[in-house]
Order: sequence, then structure tokens, then C-alpha cells
Amino acid sequence: MNIVNKLLKGFKSTGHCLAPQEKSSGGNLDKIAIVGSPNVGKSMLFNCLTGTYVAVSNYPGTTVEVSRGRAKIGEREFEVVDTPGMYSFLPISEEERVARTLLLEEKPNIVIHIVDAKNLERMLPLTLQLIEARLPVVLVLNIIDEAEKIGMKINLGHLERDLKIPVVATVSTTGRGIDVLKGRIEEYARRI
Amino acid sequence: MPEEFEGGGDILEISLEKIESLLEADYGISGRSIGLLLLQEDEEITALVKSREPENYKLIAEIVDHTKEHYHEPLSYIISLRRQEETNNILDRALEYQPAIGLSLREKLSRIMISSLTGIPILLVILYYGIYKFVGKFGAGVLVDFIEKNIFEKNINPWVNQVFTSIIPWHLLRELFVGEYGMITLGVRYAVALIFPIVTTFFIAFAIIEDTGYLPRLALLIDRVFKKIGLTGRAVIPMVLGLGCSTMATMVTRTLPTKRERIIATILLALAIPCSAQLGVILSLLAGTSIGLWIWAGVVGLVFLFIGFLSSKVLPGDSPSFYMEIPPLRLPKLFNVFIKTYSRVKWYFAEIFPMFILASIMIWIGQLTGLFTIFIRVLEYPVRWIGLPDKAAVAFLFGFFRRDYGAGGLYDIKEAGLFSTNQLVVACVTLTLFLPCIAQFLMNVKERGWKTGVAISVFILFFSFFVGFLLNSIFSILGVSL
Repeated sequence: MNIVNKLLKGFKSTGHCLAPQEKSSGGNLDKIAIVGSPNVGKSMLFNCLTGTYVAVSNYPGTTVEVSRGRAKIGEREFEVVDTPGMYSFLPISEEERVARTLLLEEKPNIVIHIVDAKNLERMLPLTLQLIEARLPVVLVLNIIDEAEKIGMKINLGHLERDLKIPVVATVSTTGRGIDVLKGRIEEYARRI
Repeated sequence: MPEEFEGGGDILEISLEKIESLLEADYGISGRSIGLLLLQEDEEITALVKSREPENYKLIAEIVDHTKEHYHEPLSYIISLRRQEETNNILDRALEYQPAIGLSLREKLSRIMISSLTGIPILLVILYYGIYKFVGKFGAGVLVDFIEKNIFEKNINPWVNQVFTSIIPWHLLRELFVGEYGMITLGVRYAVALIFPIVTTFFIAFAIIEDTGYLPRLALLIDRVFKKIGLTGRAVIPMVLGLGCSTMATMVTRTLPTKRERIIATILLALAIPCSAQLGVILSLLAGTSIGLWIWAGVVGLVFLFIGFLSSKVLPGDSPSFYMEIPPLRLPKLFNVFIKTYSRVKWYFAEIFPMFILASIMIWIGQLTGLFTIFIRVLEYPVRWIGLPDKAAVAFLFGFFRRDYGAGGLYDIKEAGLFSTNQLVVACVTLTLFLPCIAQFLMNVKERGWKTGVAISVFILFFSFFVGFLLNSIFSILGVSL
């Protein structure tokens, strides 16, 4: 891990989002679960928040096992859980079932639903289901750069008001918006 | 939708409210969610509610049935339709500009990859340059030669031999480290000189292919063939991952939706999918004979299709339908490719290195106790049946430990000039099909249970030699000499 971490440190200073992992011994940490359909950057966001490395791939079904790491956001330390891909709250495959069971059993303090900003139309229904379940959701519109490139314009304020949850736009591969996301998590966590 | 409004109320909403009021236990999520899942007949949630609401469950089930009868379409369809409507309403307000998406270059390229007419040539080009040229020729050829001949044979081996001769006077103990099967002369050499360059080049090629988003498109392309053998294109991902490491891929079979698909995929992974290091060594072994390479690919491919077809007939279950998310084509990021390759190679190495060392120790103990010779003697019989020299038994014994270890054994025998081309092809085919390594066997047992795991291995043991025997017989009957 040393070489990787050294590299990561190097990248951090150039604005890359991966930060070295912070380790400390906390008993019952607040929990953040990352959910979303395959291929929207769940694992990359996990890497961003925790600084640990999970394989990131451009195809569905890479994360079968649940990865866990720690992240320090503001003054608080969180346990971050990366889940297998999930299209809907009504699971079809075993990986989706794993993701849902995790949400039901571990009762995370914050659920980050990460979506591909270009495909909001297909991905927002899961957000609605998570909100409906009364889970503490933060919506992350990832890969916002690709959406912008094709000329899409999304009004985050409108979305926040309609959904009544925090909405953040990010590019997890470059680290754009990650600080804003951390700020919103911090704010949100204080209220819980 | 007039059917939703009857008697002034929305049946779905009314049922939901009724169910909600009947739920007494705490489920961690809202009663409305539980209610919706019950209406959509989610098995897990239904079972959960049944166990937690012993008194009200019957009533709830009645409401679900009643609601179902009320609609022509399945409730899950109605519910997702409404959700989509809500989504669209929200997006109408939040989306300030939604571009009309025409066919971009990416999209065109993507279609070319999926269409069978243009897709298959593209696949062949990728296999030829990405796997054969880069992994087989460059990794398993150039790099292995360099590390093996220049670094090990010229520098490390003589030096290590000398050092151990001077510090360990007992021949027997010295054999453990620097003998024919010694920890350093065999274990470390296989790991560093053979497996390392092959696996690294393979993982580089694989990471690039993976990050472009080509694999899901490949899945669509191959979907048709796979459907015939009872798998969906979704299974391509475990199969392609299996080329990296079949053990890891067996774990990924969990993403397949039906049990039947998972079992078929597990069998195929154990039998007909060589892992990266094995593939690399085999490509380099057969690099001198292109006809041999084609025969090897043809036989293994046929076995794959044949067994897949058979097991889809034998294992009961419906042929599943295919659906998959297609990510956009992207240019791979160098940093991501690098770090992915690094972490995979590291993981792979950590996995094989202790195994190779352990194998050397076990062989050493086997030699001391005479067990090694017995095993070799036993294995010599099937090896003779398939027309190979007795020495090849060692490679198959290695194959019990790991596929790549076994392939390494073949490499040494070929280097020693003991194989004719015919024998080489037969040996490569048999070893490709031969038993999965110990790690994969354990994974099979873990994922599929003892009975299935053991049954798969026993089947493969006999089947691989049977195919080798068949191939050898065909060669001699037809008088083929490659």
C-alpha cells in the first residue's frame, strides 16, 4: 500500500481527489453508505472519501463484495460503505439484494445516492424510492462534466427543493465537487 | 389511467395506507416502502413481514391479492410507471436545457462494436493485438526470456547455488532451496520470471480494454451464442474476468440472476477458461506453431460451447432474458490503468507467491517420503494415454496446485526439447481443461456448496484427459504431424 499511498499523496496536491487514509480507533462510528446503479462512480467516490483503493471499472457488476473504509469529514470520522450496484429497491440480482439488505440492516446515518448526471431520468426513480423509505439521502450528480459537455443544464436548487434533500454535482475522477459534498455531509450529519 | 380511480379513491394508495396501518414491527425503513415492496411481491420482504406480523399477515396478504386483481398489469409495472411520471415532473422543473441527443461518434463506434458483422472483426483485432501480441509475444516471450535467461540463469541461479553450497553442507536440505524443485530455483523463478511479466502485461491490456467500456458491448455481441447454451450475455463478464483469474471470476458469478446461470458459469470457468498466467504461458508455448494455436483455441472453444450447451439441457430452469446497463465508451485514464494493474498484480502475487513456496516445500517432503514418486507414477498412466512423455506428469502434478504453476511445468519441459509439436498441442489442451487450482476449488465449494464443488472437480479431472486422449487419437488416426 505504501507506494500507492505515496502516489495518492502526490495526486492530492495536484487537485486529485484521492487523499491518504486516516486511521484511528473509534468504536461506533457514524455510517455513510454509497448506493447507485452500476457504473456511475460509486467505487471512485469511495476512494475519494476514504483514500483507500478499490478496483474501479467501466463495466457493471464489479463490486460484489462490500468494501468498507474510513473518512474524516470536518471534525467527524465516518465509516464509509461501498455497495454493489443497485437499479431499484425491488432487487432482481443477488448483488442488488446485497445492497438493499445492507441498507436495511446497517441503518446508515447517511445514504449517498450517486447517479450519472446525464441519465437523471433513469436514475431518479431510485432516489425517490430511497426518500420514500425515509433513508437520509444525499443525491450526488456525478460525471457532471460529461453532462455539461453535451449541453445539459441542471438547476440544483430546484432539485433540492422538490426532493427536500441535499443535491451536489461532482466529477469523482478529478475531485471536482468533492469538497462541497463533504461540506453538505457535515451539515447533514450535524442535524441527525 | 381510469382503472386507478374507482369510487373516488386510488386503489393502490388506499391499499398502501391499509397495509401501513397493519404493520406493527420496526423495519428500519418507512411502512410505505414496506407496503410497496409487499404489493410488488418481493420475496424477502414478504417473508420478513410474515415472520414479524404473525397476527396481521393474513389480512395484509388479502389486501395485496385484492389490489393485484384490480389492475391488468403487474403492480410493479404500475408502481414504476408512477415513479417515472413523478421523476419526469421533477425534471421538467429542474432541467433547464436537455439537448437532443443525436448519434455522436461514440455512439456510432459503440454500434459498430455491437453489430455482429463489424463486431466480430473488431473482437479479433483486439484479441490479436491485446492478448496474443502484447501478452503472448511481448510478455510471455520477450519479457520472460529476458528475466529468465539474463537475470536468473546468468546471475541469480549461479550465485544462489554458490551461496547455498557454502552455507548448507547437507545435500538433502540444500535441495529444498536450490534443487530441481527448490524454493528459489523453481518457486521464486516461476513467480518472478514467468508469472510476473505475463500477469502484468495481461492486466495492463485488460485494464485498458475494461476502462474503455468495451466489455458490456462484447457482452451484447456474444449474447446470441450464449443464449443457445443457456447463459445470457451478462455472463460474459465473469468469463472475461476468468481470463484474469478464474477464482475471482467465480465470485463475480454472484451477479448472475439465476442459480442455473451461476452453476453453468462456474463449470465453464473451472473447465474451459484459462487464467491469465496460464493463457500467457500457453500462447508463448504455441507461438511457434500457428496451426497448433488454432487447434488449441478450436478445441477449447468447442468444449466450452459443448459443455455449456449440455449443462443448459441438463440443469432445469428457464432461459433467462438479458438486460444490461451499457456505460459510455471512454478513453481510459492512465492513472486508473496504472493503479488498477498495480493493485491486481500485487494481489495476484500475494496469492501465488506463498503457494509456489509451499508447493516446493511439499514436493521436497514428498521426495523425502517417496510420496512424490508415487504420485508421479500414478499420473504417468493418464499422461501416457494421451501420448505424452512421462516427464509431463510433473506438470500435471503442478497443475493440482495452480493452473499457472502447471503451465510453468510445461514451459520447462518444452524448453528441454522433450515435446513434439503434436504432444505440445495435446498437453496445452489437456492442461487448459485440467482441474481448477486449489483456490478456485475452494471458491467453488464456498459459492456452490460441497456437493457441486467436488462434483465439478471430479468431472473435470476425467473429462480433461478424455479430451486429450481423443485429440491424440485423432492426430494418430489421421496421421497428422504438426
